[in-house]
Amino acid sequence: MKKALGFALAVLVASAAAGTAQGGPKTAAAPAAGLSCKSTLKIAIVTPLTGQAAFLGQEQLSWAKLAVKQLAPAMGLRIQLLQGDTPVEQGANPAQTLAQKYVSDSRTVGIIGPSTSGAAVASSQTYFQAGMAHISPSATKTDLTYTVDGKREGTPAFFRVIPADNVQGPTDAAYMVKTLKVKKVVTFDFQEPYSQGLAAAVDSYLKAHGVSVTHLSAPNTTSDYSSYVTKVPNDADVVFFPTQQPPAAQTFAEQLVEQGKKATMFSGDGSDTPAQYNKPGGYVSNFAPDITGIASDKAVIAAWKKDNPGKQVGSFGPPTYGATQVLLTAIKNACTAGHGTLKSRKDVLRQVKKVRIKNWILGGSFRFSTKTNDPLNAKFYIFKIQSDGSYKLVG
Amino acid sequence: MTDSTPRDLHIPAEGPAVGQDEWVARHTERRLVRGGRLGVVEQRLRAAPWWAWLVLFAAAASLIPVVESSGYVRRVGFDTVIFMLLALGLNVVVGWGGLLDLGYIAFYGVGAYTYAIFDSDKFGMHLPTIVAVPAITIVGALVGLLVGLPSRRLSGDYLAIVTLFFLELFETVATNGNQIFGHDITGGANGILGVDPLSFFGHQLAVQHNGIFAVSYYYVAVALFLVVFVALRFVNLSRVGRAWRSLREDPLAAEVMGMPVNWLKLTAFATGAAVAALTGTLATALSASVFPLNFSPVVLITVYAMVILGGSGSQAGVALGAVLVNVLLQLLQNPDQARVLFYLLVVVGVITAFRWSRTLAVVSAATVALGFAVHAVVSSIDKTWATIGHSGFSGVLSHWVVVPGALAPWVGQVSYGVLIAAALAVTQLRGVPRLVALPPTIYLAAFVWENVMLPNPGPTRYIVLGLLLIVLMIARPNGLLGERRVEIV
Amino acid sequence: MDTFIQLTVDALTLGSVYALVALGYSLVYGVLKLLNFAHGDVFMVGSFIGYGALHALGGSASPAVPVWLLLVLITGAAMAGCAVLGVVIERFAYRPLRNAPRIAPLISALGVSFFLANSMQLLFGAQQRDYQSYALSGGSLYFRGFDIGAVHVPLLRIITIVSALVLMVVLWFLVNKTRTGKAMRATSFDGEAAAMMGINVDRVIVFTFILGSALAGAAGVMFGLRVPTFAAVGFTIGLKGFTAAVIGGIGSIPGAMVGGLLLGGAESYTAGYWTTAWSDLVVFTILIAFMIFRPQGLLGRADIRKV
Repeated sequence: MKKALGFALAVLVASAAAGTAQGGPKTAAAPAAGLSCKSTLKIAIVTPLTGQAAFLGQEQLSWAKLAVKQLAPAMGLRIQLLQGDTPVEQGANPAQTLAQKYVSDSRTVGIIGPSTSGAAVASSQTYFQAGMAHISPSATKTDLTYTVDGKREGTPAFFRVIPADNVQGPTDAAYMVKTLKVKKVVTFDFQEPYSQGLAAAVDSYLKAHGVSVTHLSAPNTTSDYSSYVTKVPNDADVVFFPTQQPPAAQTFAEQLVEQGKKATMFSGDGSDTPAQYNKPGGYVSNFAPDITGIASDKAVIAAWKKDNPGKQVGSFGPPTYGATQVLLTAIKNACTAGHGTLKSRKDVLRQVKKVRIKNWILGGSFRFSTKTNDPLNAKFYIFKIQSDGSYKLVG
Repeated sequence: MTDSTPRDLHIPAEGPAVGQDEWVARHTERRLVRGGRLGVVEQRLRAAPWWAWLVLFAAAASLIPVVESSGYVRRVGFDTVIFMLLALGLNVVVGWGGLLDLGYIAFYGVGAYTYAIFDSDKFGMHLPTIVAVPAITIVGALVGLLVGLPSRRLSGDYLAIVTLFFLELFETVATNGNQIFGHDITGGANGILGVDPLSFFGHQLAVQHNGIFAVSYYYVAVALFLVVFVALRFVNLSRVGRAWRSLREDPLAAEVMGMPVNWLKLTAFATGAAVAALTGTLATALSASVFPLNFSPVVLITVYAMVILGGSGSQAGVALGAVLVNVLLQLLQNPDQARVLFYLLVVVGVITAFRWSRTLAVVSAATVALGFAVHAVVSSIDKTWATIGHSGFSGVLSHWVVVPGALAPWVGQVSYGVLIAAALAVTQLRGVPRLVALPPTIYLAAFVWENVMLPNPGPTRYIVLGLLLIVLMIARPNGLLGERRVEIV
Repeated sequence: MDTFIQLTVDALTLGSVYALVALGYSLVYGVLKLLNFAHGDVFMVGSFIGYGALHALGGSASPAVPVWLLLVLITGAAMAGCAVLGVVIERFAYRPLRNAPRIAPLISALGVSFFLANSMQLLFGAQQRDYQSYALSGGSLYFRGFDIGAVHVPLLRIITIVSALVLMVVLWFLVNKTRTGKAMRATSFDGEAAAMMGINVDRVIVFTFILGSALAGAAGVMFGLRVPTFAAVGFTIGLKGFTAAVIGGIGSIPGAMVGGLLLGGAESYTAGYWTTAWSDLVVFTILIAFMIFRPQGLLGRADIRKV
């Protein structure tokens, strides 16, 4: 047994080496002839596909697959979608290794992602230096596209199709102050960049307008928030709960009622999933109205539901469709400009900023702002959950 | 290659000498000697001097970037060498000292964060590498001493738990370190960014050129690995190493014989921690950033799997384990390479089970024939139930495996469950029933692999890793290059 | 005072789940001296089985059977399913390593953990599963209950705490008053001597795994009723259950129960009274100090080794 195992081992190691060599792409010292737009080009989605955040990544992946399936043939492109897994439990390392992988392959011309702000920060330099456009559907850390405290963590090759925390935070807080007329607010963060950034923005706005703010912090692995619910004062007006897991928002809302707290729930875009978070009375802010209500999206939603039976439309998926659409449009424009040939992926990068999309999946039309790589005139909409669980636009 | 056992034990032909326990003395002889050509080869390989292997490794490692100019391969190489270094450090604590340290990654994190603090804009410090690296190694050793202090009172599983708590403690401090009495020390969940690269004599070593990984870091890593390997080997062969071995084999006997057991435990912790901190420095310099989640229990588990799989106690073994696990995880990310790997594993597994015999031929022929038969039947019922691919290996395979155009989810779930049941049953059967059950099981495995697992490479990676761990532990519980040891519990 | 009562209720609910998971760890460690890292994932599978059973019986909005029967059925299904899973894991992943160095079954357990968590994600997706127990008979599980002062204790929590208690009592009975239980205690005290006394150690181990895994399945359902579950939750809860088992004294059954409750209490009270980010830090420092001064845990047996 041992001898055979040793032999098996040797074979395995040899094939591993061979496999890596065979699959290992060549350097980005681009081939002189360029890439023909009739050949198969590759794009990669970089998102957490396993681990605690897998629900986010898998949802994004399904929408990206749909976009490639529908849009690429219509644009006359042959696109292969690669999948890169950046589990949040493993920190920044997978993102950087994946960046190397895609940068080394001259056929890879664009990235959808990285989905998490941490991964984006860790790998943006690599992508920028290699001229690879990376369009994120969900990384909202403000300093990825804005200069904060004199530093900007994202590079000019980083784009995103959703607005940043510095838009959402003040919008939410302004609604709380002006419309809900709050006096006492409890804000939460979950010890990770998204909620910390958002909660910080809301805290500073509220404090500047004389609202009393209690800030609570829960570890990201918390499942049962009962004790935190207990900490919410009975006379708090609003609890700001920026979770990225809608079921957690639902549970928290139910536990508030269970413990007899009168506070109203207010969540961010991460909780916008009517199928999972629908406790009446709560508020949700999102960068887009509910896409199931947009007439031009009916076909897309139907197609997605057909490919993904039994799954529900969430808030992370449609922006990924949009990001893929932007990338594919940029590729197509670069191909047209290059008369059927792409010299390198830098051509695609140059085209991204100019992309305009008419029937944007999130409603209206889409273009990038001239000042930053964020969407132009991005605003957040406030929704209130009605007694039948549907979301109604209120602000 | 098995550094944990001294090779210079002299056993006279007429029997062991007076004063030497016979059973202990004959330990080295008890290694199973294989017959045949492979046995002879193994004997010759074992007789080679230890540094020959090291030179061979160094040569092979140096040649990889020459052969492969892809930045990705080099980066994977770098990651692998980092894991090999971590495995070496863990080997000191677990393999040589026999202490179950579940907080090891915290030392890696301490080294990483200290380097980020010493060499970034966070506090405006920019120490040159020559100064920073030894300082951090010492810091790591001190923290190791600190964490090792409970080992004086605790042993075995209890020590494991306390060290695990230390790891959780470190994670909490790192994640919330932006609010320590109003001071921002560790940057919190956003980590520390803009860490300097390594600099030698005022000349900074750039981390990437046009986005491509700088191969100089790979060579630095390999050089570091060689230095640490040799240094640890000499430590192992010294008095301290022998004392650690005695501590590992039977702590009570060691204490009774007058070994300074507490001091030994502390030095084991400190040495492992120093290696980990050193590794943290290098890794952080390359990624120019540090985040608290880089040091989560998942990373700890990965390093442990590497160490135990490779054979704890054997430096070459743990290095091999690191290579295997990391390369496997990377290969499985890419569906094409994963496919090749799967079929290779199946072929190797079948050959291992049956050797070169008639049974092997029968089983292989049956599997292939069954596949074609099923494929023909299915495609005659409905063409869309068996799509034919066009390109390369997967195209050829699609003539054998049934790959439906659209698969209802329940088919995937049910076939996966049936496959598990069938595979477990096959391990229990013997003789003819086993031979009969094997071809359908293999075919079903191929079906599940192509239709359920490959389209989802994320979780598939870890499923394959998990299965590999189980199978390899059962096949070789002492690890690949480990030694049969009798454990005194 | 109200806060304290509310937090105590929280602690008891949370602690019940941890205690059930910790019991599984302690039982298996006592008999096999193995830290079964796959236990958390068995718990997760239990919560998924409960979810599946719930939907097979019509879903929480319109169940086909009365609510109490629904709860009994899904818990029973989860317990049975997990018991089978536990036996299969023991038979194929741990039994071949009975005579291997202690760390080999540990790695095998890790492999099983990877396999289970990722298989569930592969087969059933990564979306979180919400039992939506609020919808069960119009929220009666939450509105009914009794009041202590101003604190309302909902029926669901009472059910959780009481069922955990009942299960623990049943377990205590099984372990202390039956012959198999006696065999189990004998095996965990000294496995070799037990075998020499004619106890079928294999059968005892299977029995242990059945018990431990069934408890984990029940805990999974209780967990799922209150909080959304997903494939990766096994790791975190497994770690907490393991911590609870150690605090109480690993290998000791009453210790696991006490440890679970203590851990639930520690989490609830620090979160409720001191919700800065440092509550975790405090908990871990206390735990470390505690372990250093009493390594065998609260109710564990001090390890006296015969030379």
